[in-house]
Amino acid sequence: MARHAHLRAHARPAECTAPPPALEHAIAFPDGIPGFEACRHFVLLASDDTAPLQRIESVDGPRASFVGVDPRRVVPGYRCVLGPADMRSLQATADTTLLWLALVAVEADGTITANLRAPIVVNPDRMLGRQVLPNDGLYPVRHVIDAAGA
Amino acid sequence: MLVFTRKRHEAIRIGDGIEVRVLRAGRDGVRLGIVAPPDVPVHREEVYEEIRAANRTAAVQGPDVATLAARLRLP
Repeated sequence: MARHAHLRAHARPAECTAPPPALEHAIAFPDGIPGFEACRHFVLLASDDTAPLQRIESVDGPRASFVGVDPRRVVPGYRCVLGPADMRSLQATADTTLLWLALVAVEADGTITANLRAPIVVNPDRMLGRQVLPNDGLYPVRHVIDAAGA
Repeated sequence: MLVFTRKRHEAIRIGDGIEVRVLRAGRDGVRLGIVAPPDVPVHREEVYEEIRAANRTAAVQGPDVATLAARLRLP
């Protein structure tokens, strides 16, 4: 376990010095996300040296920080159908271009997985986001994208 | 917790938009039909819990994004 500690132990200090981004630049998650229901606003942080990964940070509620990746970069041909409730919550129509992010996790043994089952979907036009929870998902919650020690 | 006894085809109403109906009851399980407004999420508890646990793992680790990006080399 200690072998992989560098992957997760030292992410915070530099980022803590940045001022909290203004709420108006944040994406609202009206339903929160499971496990972080008190966080209703997140910002997306992308940069060239972390592409195609993006950081997803809470700006209210408890501090929460995630890494996301477009699931289509993980599995070409990935598709996930949004239900009427999802579209309504995102104020999206069939023509809306949505942003998709699968949450990336480093498991205890160092394996890197992406949650393809329940992606984060963002409507950039409305700055609204939602974690989609299909009841009969085609994809796993822990899709291995890099095995431990590989 | 409210506890009701329901026979097959009997239902419970919650508020003015949610109905939970017993479709079949057997030794191994109960089959329920749920009617709810489209903006009310309905999930099997284990699905919700699995996603919640996955989210906690994804957050707690706080991975260094640049390190991850270098390691993944996604196309």
